[in-house]
Amino acid sequence: MEKTLKLKAAGTSGSKHIWSSSLAFVLMAVVSLFTLFPLFWLFSSSLKDISEIFVNPPIWIPSTLHWENFRELFVERKFGIITWNSFLLSTTSTLIALIFCSLAGFAFAKYKFKGKQFLFVLVLASLMIPHEATMVPLFSIYKNMHLIDNIWGVILPDLANAFGIFFMRQYCMSLPDEMMEAARIDGCNEFKIFRKIVLPNLRSGFAGLGIILFVKQWNNFLWPSVILRSQENMTLSVALKALEDSNNTPYHLIMAGSVISVLPLLIIVLIFQKQLIAGMIDGAIKG
Amino acid sequence: MKASKLNKQMLVAPYIYISPYFILFFVFSLYPILYSIYISLTDWNGSGEKLFIGFENYIQLFSDNDFWLSLWNSTLIFLMYVPIMLFVGLILASMLNSNWMVGKGFFRMALFVPNFVSVVAVSFVFILLLNTQDGLVNSVLRSIGLIDNPIPWLESPWWARFSVAMMVLYRWLGYNMLLLLTGLQNISKDLYEAAYVDGATKIKSFFFITIPLVKKMLLFCTVLSTIGTFSLFTEPFILTQGGPLNSTLTPVLMLYRESFQNFNFGYASSIAVCFFILMMVISLLQMRIFDDKE
Repeated sequence: MEKTLKLKAAGTSGSKHIWSSSLAFVLMAVVSLFTLFPLFWLFSSSLKDISEIFVNPPIWIPSTLHWENFRELFVERKFGIITWNSFLLSTTSTLIALIFCSLAGFAFAKYKFKGKQFLFVLVLASLMIPHEATMVPLFSIYKNMHLIDNIWGVILPDLANAFGIFFMRQYCMSLPDEMMEAARIDGCNEFKIFRKIVLPNLRSGFAGLGIILFVKQWNNFLWPSVILRSQENMTLSVALKALEDSNNTPYHLIMAGSVISVLPLLIIVLIFQKQLIAGMIDGAIKG
Repeated sequence: MKASKLNKQMLVAPYIYISPYFILFFVFSLYPILYSIYISLTDWNGSGEKLFIGFENYIQLFSDNDFWLSLWNSTLIFLMYVPIMLFVGLILASMLNSNWMVGKGFFRMALFVPNFVSVVAVSFVFILLLNTQDGLVNSVLRSIGLIDNPIPWLESPWWARFSVAMMVLYRWLGYNMLLLLTGLQNISKDLYEAAYVDGATKIKSFFFITIPLVKKMLLFCTVLSTIGTFSLFTEPFILTQGGPLNSTLTPVLMLYRESFQNFNFGYASSIAVCFFILMMVISLLQMRIFDDKE
């Protein structure tokens, strides 16, 4: 308290300080303008006619708002089902991954078992296998497992999430041992301990990891674009790229589709921004 | 009787808890990566017979100019954005860390937004903005008189690399700034106060207090960016398809081309194995850096 007072006192003295802090504010505002402007352009272009996309001088806000871009996407380009796919895929994969990660994280945090050290190092080492390097064999495995053009083909590899295990392990380690001991004395079996005592206490961990996984899966592109072939099975990212056409790309539709892909995430992240930012930093540093 | 039953459960439970992860890891990660090594020793188009050819693919790969070019492109892109990102990121982070900054919450979010917005969507916006003839960037630059002729942002090799680098910068500036901000928050404010009392200017304290004390975090950001740059795919894939003249071809993009466009699964796997080794070396380096300091 004393410290901040002193700093404030030091800070308000002298006009030099006011200058440098306004300069800082302006710099910050300029950088924010650069980060937010492409989003403004995205929203503006999504309501343009195709003839208004590439024009000189540029049209900042279209005089008539072409909402029919969105209608065309939903009516003629199956974006209803595509959006649903993105939602279903991200939600399912996040929920299952949360369960698997918390189970394994809990085991590594609170149990003593043979080979624990070695297995944990194995989890650690698995982080070094980049998903990109496994695409070719996975593709031929998928052919045999009938997972090509199937959203489970996107979900399954992402469920083995070493990062998530680290993350949940951190949260589990902070749970007091006494809680579990007491439950054991009361005759709770191990699974019941996990379900009734551990799970409810991991809520903030679930929020943090959940939002990270959801965002990642929602925006996932490379692997889904390799295996999701038919329009009915595509996710938003894949469908956006599929709208591209070598002769006549409908950029107004791509922009409208991008809004469909960006807007829900923007809302979710604004709601959960604390968890997301805290989670990403924790994850990066501890992982 | 009951106690021993519980005890037995305690012995078995952890193995059951970790088994979903390990089953999935073996099937979808470990087995594929080993299989990848085997495929890399064959000539295979993905559906016919695998023809064992030893190290033929690797010999071809190491004499393939495109492969070296892809590594070189990644290095150039890295050099184009990482120094700017870390320097600007650190300045912005120290502003957000100060007592006098207004609108911290808003600015933090504004800078972070590009990180979670779909890369595919943002790449398409960049295509519109950077169009040579009628893109917004060129028309603004021309109307304020900075340039006479339009800049071929995506159509000449160096500008294309630069554009990809700027898009990566756009996405990752806020994220790195947040990491650096956590580093800054661990520095005691007393140090700045003492420096202030001794008459050090803000700029001096930035160079002599801030930078040395966040060195570790800067190094960490650099390692993450190295991994990220060599794994670049979506940005060059959508912005430039790796062109012009393969100037934005990256290792992962080359892997994608060889496997899912040209169906040279054997050759593609040799790229995958090299990529895997590269990533492993960087990760091991990262672990060593962090073990040393802690």
